[in-house]
Order: sequence, then C-alpha cells, then structure tokens
Amino acid sequence: MNPSSSGRPSLGGEALLSLGMVLLGAFVVWQGSLVKAAASYSGIGPGLFPGLIGSGLSLIGLVLGWEALNGGWRAMPDDETTHQDADWRAFGLISLAVLLHMLLVGWAGFIIASALLYALIARGFGSTRPGRDLVIALLISVPVFFIFTRGLGLNLPAGWLTWGA
Amino acid sequence: MDTFTALMSGFAVALSVQNLLLGALGVTLGTAIGVLPGVGPALTIALLLPATANFEPTGALILFAGIYYGAMYGGSTTSILLNTPGESATIITAMEGNLMAKRGRAGPALATAAIGSFVAGTLATIMLTIAAPAMVEVALKFGPAEYFAVMVLAFVTVSAVLGNSPARGLASLFFGLTLGLIGLDSQSGQPRLTLGIPELLDGIDIVIVAVGLFAVGETLYVATYLNRIADKIESVKGSVWMSKSDWARSWKPWLRGTAIGFPFGAMPAGGSEIPTFLSYAAEKKLTKHPEEFGKGAIEGVAGPEAANNAAAAGMLVPLLTLGLPTGATAAIMLSAFQQYGLQPGPLLFASEPQLVWGLIASLYVGNVLLLILNLPMVGLWVKLLSIPRPLLYAGILVFATLGAYGLRNSWFDLALLYGIGLVGFAMRRYDIPVAPTIVGLILGPLAETQMRRALAISQGDATVFLTQPISASVLAITAAVLIVPRLLKRRRLPEPTLLPTDAPWK
Repeated sequence: MNPSSSGRPSLGGEALLSLGMVLLGAFVVWQGSLVKAAASYSGIGPGLFPGLIGSGLSLIGLVLGWEALNGGWRAMPDDETTHQDADWRAFGLISLAVLLHMLLVGWAGFIIASALLYALIARGFGSTRPGRDLVIALLISVPVFFIFTRGLGLNLPAGWLTWGA
Repeated sequence: MDTFTALMSGFAVALSVQNLLLGALGVTLGTAIGVLPGVGPALTIALLLPATANFEPTGALILFAGIYYGAMYGGSTTSILLNTPGESATIITAMEGNLMAKRGRAGPALATAAIGSFVAGTLATIMLTIAAPAMVEVALKFGPAEYFAVMVLAFVTVSAVLGNSPARGLASLFFGLTLGLIGLDSQSGQPRLTLGIPELLDGIDIVIVAVGLFAVGETLYVATYLNRIADKIESVKGSVWMSKSDWARSWKPWLRGTAIGFPFGAMPAGGSEIPTFLSYAAEKKLTKHPEEFGKGAIEGVAGPEAANNAAAAGMLVPLLTLGLPTGATAAIMLSAFQQYGLQPGPLLFASEPQLVWGLIASLYVGNVLLLILNLPMVGLWVKLLSIPRPLLYAGILVFATLGAYGLRNSWFDLALLYGIGLVGFAMRRYDIPVAPTIVGLILGPLAETQMRRALAISQGDATVFLTQPISASVLAITAAVLIVPRLLKRRRLPEPTLLPTDAPWK
C-alpha cells in the first residue's frame, strides 16, 4: 500500500483520530473510576464496564495510531470517491443550516426553521433556485407539521405562525 | 401449540385490515427508501420511532419489518440502474447488474433481482418459521454467561468480520459501547459519563445517534466530497420480463443463493455481505457462460441478490429468538421492541405469540406485495432516482431534524445530532464502518447487565465464561468466525480493497 497516493485522506488525520480514541478511552476509564457504588459486589460494580470499554478503546487507538505512523491505516479504499477535493463551502453551508435550525426551531417554529433549513441545504448542494427551493420546502414542511402534530400526536412548535388552534 | 398452528394464528393477525395496511405501507416506504440513495432502512425506522410510540406494538413492528424487507428489493433497483451501489450487500449486484443495464439488459436484470428476492425471501421466511422455534428451545437453556458470550459473538461479527479493517470496525464498536455507557447505570442508578449535564442522565437516544450518523454525517460527506461526481442512471429499455433462457439461467442461482444466504444471516456469522460474495464465486464456477462474467451475466445478479435477501431474513432468527441484532437495521428494530417494553428472546414466543407469529406471517404477505410493487411498477420507482440531489438531501435533513427534535423538543438534542453528524462525517471519510456503533450502543447495556449477572452468580470469578460448556463453545465460535471468513475472502476474492466498502447510510 502506497501511503502517498494522491487524494487519500491524510495520514495526519488518521494519526489525529487515533490519538482522539486513545484520549477518549483514557477519559472513559477515568470517569469509570469515579463511579462509586455502595453495592459493589466482588468488584462487579458500575465502574467495571467503563474500565473495560475505555481500555479497549485506548488499545484500538494505539493500534490504529501505530498503523498511521507506519504506512497508514490498512486496506483503505482507493477509488474515484477518495480522490475528490473537499468542498468546504458546501460543508459550511450545511453546518450553518443545521445550527440555524437548532436556534430557530423553538422560537420561529418548525415550519419556518425547516423551510430555511431546506433552502440552505439545497444551496449547499449547488442549487441556484432559492425561490423554487423555498416553495418545495413549504410544500414539505406544512403538511409534515400537520401530519405529525395532529395525526401522530408529536409536539412541534408552531412559533410565529399560529394556526388559531 | 405447534409451529403450523402458531403460524396460522399469525396469519389471522397479519391479515387484519389494519396490519395489512401497515404492512403495505411498510413495504412501499421500504422500496422507496431502498431506491433513494442516501436513505436506508435503519435511518427510516429510527426516524419513525418517536412518531410510532403510541402505536400498538404488533402493527408498528409489521410496519418496520415491511420497511426492512422492502429496502432490500428497492436497493437492488438502484444498484442495477445507478453506477454507485446502494448498500454493501448489493456491491455484486451493482457490478454485474449495472453491466447488464449498460448492455441494454436492464429489464431482465431487474426482473431476476425482484423474482430472485421473492423466491429467496419466501424460502428464507419458511426456514425462519422452522428455525426460530428450534432456536427458542436452545435459547431457553441460556443463562447470563451464555447470553454474554453470544453478545460478544455478535459484537465480533458485526465489527471485525465485515468491512476492510477489523481495527476500524472495533474502533466503531467501542465508540458505540462508550455512547451506551452514558446515563444512569441500570442496576445501581449511578450516573456515568454524564459530565453533570442533566440532559444526559437518560442516556443518548438511539434516534439521535442513528440519524446523526446516517443522515447528518452522510449529507455532510456527500456534499463535501461526492457532489461533483454525477450519477449516471441507466434507462430501462424494452420489457422487464425475462426470456426463457433467462429463466433457465436464473432459477438455480436463486436456490443456491438462498441456501448460502440464510445460514450466514442466522448464525450470525457475517451479515449479508459475505454470502453475496460466496454466491457470486459459486455461480462463476458453475456457469455455462463464464465469458459473460464481468460483462453482465444474469447468474451474477440472480445468485447474490437471492443470497442477500435470504441473509436478511436469516438475521431475524437471532433477533427474535435471542434479542441479538447482527446489523444496524436489526439493532434499531431491537430498540423498537424496547420502546414498547418488549425484550425479544425465547420468552417473547411464550408471552407474545400473537405478536411474534403475526410479525413472521406478515413477512410472507410482504414478499408477495413486494413482488407486485417491484416488477410491474418498477418504472415508477426509477423516477425516484431522478430527484435532484439538492432537493433529496435537503428533504432528508428536514426529516432528520424533525426526528431528533420530536423526541423531547430540546435544542440540546439538535446540538448533539450535529456533533454526532461530525463524527459520522469523519468516520465516512476515514472508512470506519458505522453499523458497529449502532449495535454497540443498543447491545452494550444489555451485554453489561448479563456480564454483571454472570459474575455475581460466580462470585466474581471471571473464568465462568470459559467453564460453562455453551458459553465456552460460543466464544470458540467467535474466535473461528474472526479467522475463517478472512481466509475465505482472501482465497476467493483476491482484490477486496478495490470494492467500495461499507456504505454507511444503509
């Protein structure tokens, strides 16, 4: 396996993810050791499983970290999809859409937040017709709102649009 | 009550108007999401969990089972017509089937996949009907140590046998197990890994994790890396019916595919990916037209498609009789049972026979409906493929955020959803399979309970798992399962890394 084949996810990323696993595992072990249960019977308390899982995660992180530093992770796929340049603008737009929806949904309501989410994601995927996207967004979010609240008994905020209910 | 009587009473449940409608809705929805790239049965069922909380359990599970079966049928349509496979188990279909479509033989390819799925699905459901009660007899002898051992087996098969790298599979599994730890310990009531955040006391809901990984992570990945690659859809020209020679070349691969697929799904030893490879290898060896393989041979679609569906049915055996999920969709089905306070396992067959047998009977009905939906009406489903990507993924995220927010109307869940989406994005980019995370999250807390029970009985003696005969043999099988398929795969398919790996959205 040639680690420097173009377009392949960077070894730095692999090493970083491996390190993340080691640290997360250590954190889980530490948190597990903090759990003090009165009814700990022969050491079989609520702290045992976190200890095992955290150690396992750290161990796998170490193995993957070793792989990353010695030629890269094994058997990584090498096809057309792994040779694409990243489109971080699309990534940013979609992140913005999701986070904006999170802020808006409780306040402006499900329909407005979802319509905005829809139009922004479509934009992130390269749509150049925001008007059409918004119309489709409303054609989806308005019926969905009524089906889920009236039909399936889910509680969704109406927000700025109140329906005289 | 013998099996036949039980099945007949199950049909009475499955054929009630309400359940028939829910089953029909399930298979239709399942076919649609199977056809659509970017949506799979695991994501769909997860999204429906909050909305079906007030449903009567039998009807809801019939709906979910319909989605599970339907997605298998729909997935093959996409694999044949699109140049990207819909899910890992249809990689082979995507190779031979797409080549057939390129040669103008899309119709027969779709037909042999649909009829093969029907034949395999129905035969495998019969095998499920026979195998499940037998498995229940075995499962009744299980104690905590045995349950823990089979759960370890499931963990290993899901994470280390599938995919390209056992290390990355296990990393995914342990991430899921870690997520499963968060919240109050079920036995002592102690908070674990909650970091003092009150929202985390109930644990992280499976809906958030599944939707975050499958919908948010996948959408981020497709937008960032794949949006510049155009999908190429092959058109269905001419008849979807098969000629006499197509039939003659298809029926044996269907039966062989079923025979290979069901045991693999039921054991559980390797999901539905390996049996499709094995079936393909077998057909390539036995065919009278070896020159067509690699250029679009109908046997190469018929066999693997049948194996895929038979394995999917087989996976219901461990799920129903042991409560053991061996894939992402099965894990979400298990959490659907839990949502209604039901625990699949041998006792469920005794306590809820109407539900279990109604569910199994609905699979027979579903297969017939699916054949009708997928053969004469295939043109309708093909139209779904022409939905522009921006509109499709925008729609997926509207439903994804709805599912997460609908749980308890909390913005915290949406923040968590985005965070898990970022993890899913990284996992997709670095070829870490997602299914083990889902299985670890669902099965981890159950495994912990069984392990602690077993250790409490043995008074802390950890050798209990190796001294009990059933538990010891299951752990021995686990070791074998880890080694044998790797050898098989290496021998029969010399270039496994050239295949696109696990497609996490399914």
